[in-house]
Amino acid sequence: MENQTITAVSPELKLEIKKLILETLKISDVKPEDIADSASLFENNPALQLDSVDALEIVMALQRTYHVHIDDQNIGRFIIKSVDTIAEFVAKERAKNKE
Amino acid sequence: MSQIQFQHKMGAHCESGILSALLSHNGVALSEPMVLGISGAIFFVFIKTPHMVFPVFDMRNRPGDMRKNIGKRLGIKFATQKFSDPDRARASLEALLDKGIPTTVQVDMFYMEYIPSYMRVHFNAHFIVVVGREGGNYLVSDCYYPSISKLSRDSLDKARFAKSDFAPKGFQFYVASTPAGGVKEDVLKKAVMQGIKQSAFNMVKLPVPFIGVKGMRRFADNIPAWPKIARNMDALSHAIMSIHITLEERGTGGGGFRFMYASFLQEAAKLLDKTEFSDMSKKIMAIGDRWRELSLFVARVGKNRDLGDNRMQEIRQMIRARADEEEAFFKTLLTMVK
Repeated sequence: MENQTITAVSPELKLEIKKLILETLKISDVKPEDIADSASLFENNPALQLDSVDALEIVMALQRTYHVHIDDQNIGRFIIKSVDTIAEFVAKERAKNKE
Repeated sequence: MSQIQFQHKMGAHCESGILSALLSHNGVALSEPMVLGISGAIFFVFIKTPHMVFPVFDMRNRPGDMRKNIGKRLGIKFATQKFSDPDRARASLEALLDKGIPTTVQVDMFYMEYIPSYMRVHFNAHFIVVVGREGGNYLVSDCYYPSISKLSRDSLDKARFAKSDFAPKGFQFYVASTPAGGVKEDVLKKAVMQGIKQSAFNMVKLPVPFIGVKGMRRFADNIPAWPKIARNMDALSHAIMSIHITLEERGTGGGGFRFMYASFLQEAAKLLDKTEFSDMSKKIMAIGDRWRELSLFVARVGKNRDLGDNRMQEIRQMIRARADEEEAFFKTLLTMVK
């Protein structure tokens, strides 16, 4: 997965994140393009039907893939609220690491 | 509307989070990890009472101990009150707000209507800071939420007088006084060392079989018997998944408070100019990562009902491995504060 070069909140980063979520959770009947960028991943999302265990799986996958550390599940919940919020977080962490 | 100028902060754990925010408001700048560390809150306790089918555990000291230890070590006085009557509790709270005093109340988290419903559970030992009023609502600073929020009077009344375990009973507290001239650096340094010593002692030296690493091993060794005592697979799954909930979902900051403790040790290293604390910070961060892996493992096997005897033994071994790591860690830490 080519994640090292994407630092801005770009459509490419969002697509990459969607693929990571579907791959990590082994969801085969939803396509990346079916996930709206701003839609809540956990609330009122009948297509994905994610729970708190899935939340931890996503957090750990993000940590492995983007070399970020999300210590706090309270803040983590808001980071992984949607693809948009995840992408903002990843882009910000990458920009921080570049400094 | 009347609102006290209060700097809202998000936090990993409600008690340490609101203490940090409350102390900052009163001129004592202390991060949440420092509150956790100085109060000696990092802990492990195995809990089994006759009415429980399965034992449970906790990774921090008793609710309220953070406040007491911080107060004792830094010379901060907290005024605390409990009420049996909701009307008197409300009147007292509003009188304090009218004086410009942000007041912490103990509540059942379920009634915090600003938190998304899928995140709300009944939990009676949640703490929020009330910072104002607007019409029929209170303005509250809840460190589990990104901003100051509105909470209806009716919801707060219910939350403050919810029944069941750890019933709040209208409990409230506020900062009554801080040391003249602020907390001096030498007092802070001493408090950090005291907090570390207390935690390390509790984890490896306290001669009580259900506390610290002894408690971890006791909990681990109990698990292989669970399939025999569970009334059905759902009950067993629920018990196993509660391990995940305690480690990651109940406001621990991740890894059963170990990530926050790592942050504390980093701050301690800078304050005390002790690079060895920085090394220890990395070690407990790695231990926290392995607690988190264990948490995910139990969540997966619980969710998938993959709970044969071999899985129970695997979980037992994983917890015992954490106990061994923490024993080595806290023994080393204890030598650094003697």
